[in-house]
Amino acid sequence: MDRYRNFSLDEWVWDAAFRNWVLNPTREDDEAWQNWLAANPDKINLVERARQLVSAIRPENAPIQSQEKRIAIDDIVSRLENRTLPEREIRPWFAGPWTRVAAMLLLMLGLGWGFLLRSGNHQVNYEQLVAAAGDDMLEKANNTSRPLTISLEDGSQVTLDPGSKMGYPAHFKKGKREVFLSGKAFFDITKDPSRPFFVYANELVTKVLGTSFTVRSFTNEKEVSVAVKTGKVAVFSREDPSARQKQGSRELTGVVIEPNQQIVFVRETVKITKSIVPQPEIVEQNALAYHFEFDEAPVSTVFSTLQRAYGIDIIYDKNIMDDCPITARLTDMSLYEQLDLVCKAVGASYELIDGRILIEGKGCKSN
Amino acid sequence: MKPFISNHSQQEEEIVLWRAMLGGDMQGYEALINRTYDLLFHYGGKFSRDRELVKDCIQDVYLEVWEKRNALSSDIPPKAYLLASLRRRMHRVSARHRMDCMDYYNEADIVFEAEFDAEYRLIQLEEDRLLASRMTRMLNDLPKRQKEAVFLKFYNNMERDEIALIMDIHPQSVSNLLQEAFKCIKSQWKAIITAVMLLCFSA
Repeated sequence: MDRYRNFSLDEWVWDAAFRNWVLNPTREDDEAWQNWLAANPDKINLVERARQLVSAIRPENAPIQSQEKRIAIDDIVSRLENRTLPEREIRPWFAGPWTRVAAMLLLMLGLGWGFLLRSGNHQVNYEQLVAAAGDDMLEKANNTSRPLTISLEDGSQVTLDPGSKMGYPAHFKKGKREVFLSGKAFFDITKDPSRPFFVYANELVTKVLGTSFTVRSFTNEKEVSVAVKTGKVAVFSREDPSARQKQGSRELTGVVIEPNQQIVFVRETVKITKSIVPQPEIVEQNALAYHFEFDEAPVSTVFSTLQRAYGIDIIYDKNIMDDCPITARLTDMSLYEQLDLVCKAVGASYELIDGRILIEGKGCKSN
Repeated sequence: MKPFISNHSQQEEEIVLWRAMLGGDMQGYEALINRTYDLLFHYGGKFSRDRELVKDCIQDVYLEVWEKRNALSSDIPPKAYLLASLRRRMHRVSARHRMDCMDYYNEADIVFEAEFDAEYRLIQLEEDRLLASRMTRMLNDLPKRQKEAVFLKFYNNMERDEIALIMDIHPQSVSNLLQEAFKCIKSQWKAIITAVMLLCFSA
């Protein structure tokens, strides 16, 4: 390390380890360098000049916003999950003749599938679903003006909204519990991992192991939605080519939604989007443990408290946000009011993307 | 005292994620993308100004890595491997693109184009600002391949062997490129310092 004693300005500027500290600082590195400077106080001036030069002279980079990056990454990952999509591009250097044939077959299969779906009536409704399910079906319809609660044989409870109905078997089959819904209902499902619980609502299948959630699917409406209160829920479209496999698996596959998230399925375009419910609620059992009062706390602490309380991912740059102290009382506010207030205090903004909250801000370090 | 552990620990984390990815761990794979995406985006941007094209190429690189994960070695330096794939792909794509619009295409057309720039507000001393402006011009005047090697080494902390892998040249050639760049930088630096001193005195 003591070769640095006699470094000139340009030697500093082009030293790899020094540059790395300036350009990609880490905690350990920072400590080591601060120690060195403490031991060599006569060098502080020179090192500071070098540091300024290194950080000022950079290649021009077209910046990429964290939101744009997030979307690009989600796109990549989603392509892995949808392996049955037609091959995008045939790569000649390692695609032998058989790979090509396989890709062609896949493509034809895909086209055939799309054609079948388009030629048939791909929107299904409650009546068709119940008819297809077999004969020993019971049905409860709520023709009153108040919610109606139904208890199922496994102890689960379903609260039907007015104008809604549910079809269910007198006895559940071995290995799975299946019900059919038209309209809107809140489900509180008894946990039984050996028998997943399925709600069929128009084109959408919701699969849970034991949780509570709301499904809304009126036959005459254009959208079907599922919102989660506790636990986790997996949702997939009946048209998903791998729906059968997703239904069969022990795990929750498909679009997984967690508390305070919802998915909306647009029937016309067969598109599923994930978002945050309009009024997020605190999900922790001991809600009283959260007093939401902060005194000179780093704003990152505030975000992580909110994240835990609502069970919603909050994405922010910890390095930047650690520098922002905040004093605030956030009790008795909705999540969005809390976010508004905190973001305003530290000059940041937030966005809701894909069921998550993204914070963007420059932090509070003053130059 | 050994202060340079951080670079290794940063690399180590990527290697851990790389191995998780090779083992089929989707979360590790996503974390790896998250860690390396900016680097790929900035590097790719040096070969084309078309953001969407760069993003498409990056996507192909990551998807290909996942597809080939059974055939890839766990000892490959992840960042260098990703940058090398991206570089090859950017070359291929721009070659195809050029073929469409021109009668001929020339390998030498597809090059690394980086502009260096100085942010003067970060510099306090007036003489250092002058120094920075001279250094920036000097960096911009470097031949393209030297510039690329300098970019990888001094702005992205790549080792010689990694740069060789990325630029698809012999490690010795990397040393030569960097040496030439440095000879130029060193000799100019002296001239710059003298010029800056003169300017400061005459001002």
